Amino acid sequence: MVVDGHIPEGRLRRSRTDADIAETLAGVLDRELTGYVVFEPQGSILRGDDERAVITFDSGVPVLAYHPPSDAGGADALDALSGGPFHVEAYDLPADALSEAHRVEALRVAPAAPAERLATDDALIERTRAAASDDRLDRDPDASSVEAFLADEDRIEAIRQEARAEAEERAAEWGLADQLDEG
Amino acid sequence: MVEAFAVASGKGGTGKTTSTLALGMALAEEHDVTVIDADTGMANLLFHTGLGDADVTLHDLLVADRDAAVDDAVYDRFGMSVVPCGTSLDGFAAADPERLRDVVAALAADADVLLLDSPAALGSKSAVLPVVLADRIVVVLQPTVPSLSDGLKVQEYARSYGTSTAGVLFNRVQPDEDVETVAERASRYFGGPTLGSVPESDAVRAARRAGEPLLTHAPTDPAADAFREAAAALDVRPGDADGVADRFRSAVVPDRP
Repeated sequence: MVVDGHIPEGRLRRSRTDADIAETLAGVLDRELTGYVVFEPQGSILRGDDERAVITFDSGVPVLAYHPPSDAGGADALDALSGGPFHVEAYDLPADALSEAHRVEALRVAPAAPAERLATDDALIERTRAAASDDRLDRDPDASSVEAFLADEDRIEAIRQEARAEAEERAAEWGLADQLDEG
Repeated sequence: MVEAFAVASGKGGTGKTTSTLALGMALAEEHDVTVIDADTGMANLLFHTGLGDADVTLHDLLVADRDAAVDDAVYDRFGMSVVPCGTSLDGFAAADPERLRDVVAALAADADVLLLDSPAALGSKSAVLPVVLADRIVVVLQPTVPSLSDGLKVQEYARSYGTSTAGVLFNRVQPDEDVETVAERASRYFGGPTLGSVPESDAVRAARRAGEPLLTHAPTDPAADAFREAAAALDVRPGDADGVADRFRSAVVPDRP
């Protein structure tokens, strides 16, 4: 039983070691898991600590993150999941068994937040967003995050440069290179 | 005389199709407007315009051996010319994206304003073509980090092809969102003016269910008013129709070896 006792024990579907969290998230997304995944850093197993963290999923899309040892929830809990490898246990549950826990705002994360924060895999981020329902994508309870984003000129410049490089690379693939603006 | 706009967002769920039709209807007060569903992989303009049973769609025009004339896929609806796209996977699979340039060139001959409802993606040639072919883009955003981020990305793709930004439209704005501050700060990064801010509205969903554009279904809704104001803020710059047609025709020429 995890996350404040709100989530019942699920059915174990998979128990394995993943090199990094991107691998886990991609697998969960592919299998459209509804349930939760318990992550245990490999060092934690060796030391005998209990450093487990959990992320819940709805049809493969992350909903909650919780790190019981620090009682951190939401985006803060994701910090416990940096690095790797992890021993990963994936459990499935009916969606209604998760509905009560999924109402706990303090534990919620944006659909692509785990992928954005812990994996440098743009395709995974895009796939996660594409799989998320519209109402999840609209959630942005922290208006200040938008302002912080717009104040971060370096980040925006990085997005632009990456997009520009990607556009030019793909233009060549798609036979559109002649259409590129030389200016 | 025509200017072609791609209505783009990079991200799904921003209300691009609703925006395209609302801007189109408002612009149709003064211009001959043609709206094209250029989202060939996930078409939905037909459902917004009551054309779910249209016999001929853009898909038919993009298939080499289909004997369909461009006019067959043009429907007069709501004061505009509407070119819907089909929804079948077979139609999408058979469609040759390169034929879009000829279709658009033909349609450009008869319109003042072309609006291309563009795919919410940048991962394929057919998704990027509307942005390549258009004179300028209208970026539809929500005041959220993912939407702003994807909007920047689609703008950069467009700029790579020499397509500038005509303006930014904030859509589906929640009552508690401080869009003015966001718009002011975002304007440093986006080209063109902020065209408007459209509140989230139940009328949009009701219009979609009724198979009508918002401006027909709920013309006095605050969202409809906001779209009309946004259209008024868009400075249409009629160009030379022949030039536009030539550009479309010359687009998408494969690289020489």
